[in-house]
Amino acid sequence: MESFFAIGLIIGKLAVVIAILLVLPIPLTWIERKIAGHIQQRLGPMRVGWHGLLQPLADGIKLLTKEDHIPAEADRFLFTLAPIIALVPPFLVFVAIPIGDSVTIFGTEITLYLADMNVGLLYILAVAGIEVYGVIFAGWASNSKYAVLGSLRTCAQMISYEIPMGFSVIGVVMLAHSMSLLDIVEAQAGLWNVVYQPLGFFVFFVAGLAEAQRIPFDLPEAEGDLCAGYHTEYSGIRFSFFMISEYLIVVFLSALIVLLFFGGWHGILIPLPPVVWFLLKLSFFIWVFMWLRFTFPRYRYDQLMSIGWKVLLPLSLANILISGIFML
Amino acid sequence: MRERMEKVDMVAKVARKVSGWIGWAFFLDLLDGLSLTLSYMFSKTITERYPDDEKWIPFPRYRGHHFLKSNAEGKTNCVACELCSRICPCRCITVVPHEDEDGERHPQVFEIDLGRCLFCGLCEDACPADAIALGRHYEFCDHDSKTLVVGRDALMAMPGKVERGGEVVAARLSTEVGVTVTATGDGEGVDWWRHIRRR
Repeated sequence: MESFFAIGLIIGKLAVVIAILLVLPIPLTWIERKIAGHIQQRLGPMRVGWHGLLQPLADGIKLLTKEDHIPAEADRFLFTLAPIIALVPPFLVFVAIPIGDSVTIFGTEITLYLADMNVGLLYILAVAGIEVYGVIFAGWASNSKYAVLGSLRTCAQMISYEIPMGFSVIGVVMLAHSMSLLDIVEAQAGLWNVVYQPLGFFVFFVAGLAEAQRIPFDLPEAEGDLCAGYHTEYSGIRFSFFMISEYLIVVFLSALIVLLFFGGWHGILIPLPPVVWFLLKLSFFIWVFMWLRFTFPRYRYDQLMSIGWKVLLPLSLANILISGIFML
Repeated sequence: MRERMEKVDMVAKVARKVSGWIGWAFFLDLLDGLSLTLSYMFSKTITERYPDDEKWIPFPRYRGHHFLKSNAEGKTNCVACELCSRICPCRCITVVPHEDEDGERHPQVFEIDLGRCLFCGLCEDACPADAIALGRHYEFCDHDSKTLVVGRDALMAMPGKVERGGEVVAARLSTEVGVTVTATGDGEGVDWWRHIRRR
């Protein structure tokens, strides 16, 4: 009986997480368009529903009813596989992301995470790395020069920025003596890691921007010079898979920044429920990602590479060195 | 004295360079851009919600749909001299004069092909009787080019010029009979430039 209940709880939590993640891109597109509009002193979507709230639904219906076109010369198997490979890793990552410690409802203690792995951070970085396969497959299978160029750029970019990203979290792991995200958050109960690790936070943030393929590092889909990069040939629901994955990666990176550097669900000054604190910080970082997008122009390709290898990598190594010296 | 000046210059130059490097290292230029977009994000928008809620009233100098002015008895001012049709660069005005029951010369046919008109306003300049002018109306696109040929009575019914103009007034979009945007707020509108920043 006990084990049945436990399994039911896990399945229930899984269903809730999947439902939330599938629905989440809908408000996010609306918020992003609103932020874009207001930065440019426009109003953004206004006509569908109150202040354009139903605009994402209209867009979704449009994408669903569009022709699902596969180019004649495309590799059909990889072409259909690629959006799924791009979509799955962001979902897998959220298995290891806790949004709180635990709450007690009706006398039973419910943990607000799906799995507390002792190598949670490693798992997250590893699974997030799979996402690049979707992009490479999409570009290669499309059999189009823009798509191939975009996916080659993505390949180089994501692989080079994963290295400083991985190095920048080592300082956090050293402070917490653990790779479990719960332990990392517990270790920040007193003072947030961003105070101890400002350099690590900076490197992680910039590398995260590049990993999420957001402006100023959106070279993979630079619409100015590559149409849309790797998803040039995609349309309809397959295209929306790439979009959903892009928004989920933004959410996941914001969550990771909050967990690793901004104390997770530990609040300051104002006593709020831990989950509320976590969601507030999460939405703040999502907003920052969108704010950056509509402020900066795109970096040139050589600048992107030199920032990754000549600036971020030495900085992340220096961060490990400095943390080590201070811990001795 | 001169050596001292050179020294001061050197120090200022080095200080400028050092502060430039500090700014570069801490991304001061990026922060500058971010603060600008942040201030814009929380400033008033300048969007004119045109067909749904608002409508722009053109200035008096605006050259919109033509209209024929009429006198106190409701007759047109036009004396059918055909000067407008002569000066028209697109040959889009057709005037056929006739003599009415009072013995006055008036147009029997006065047609303007809006599909050909380039809205230069030369007809307005050429008119000796102050009869034709280009007014405030600007929503007259159509699917059928034949409906763009407007006759005398329709031209007389067209709205004239505005007194002040250049304002945004409340309006309502209606799709019941065709598509029309009617201004609901009469009189004072708001200045469209009210939220636009000028440095």
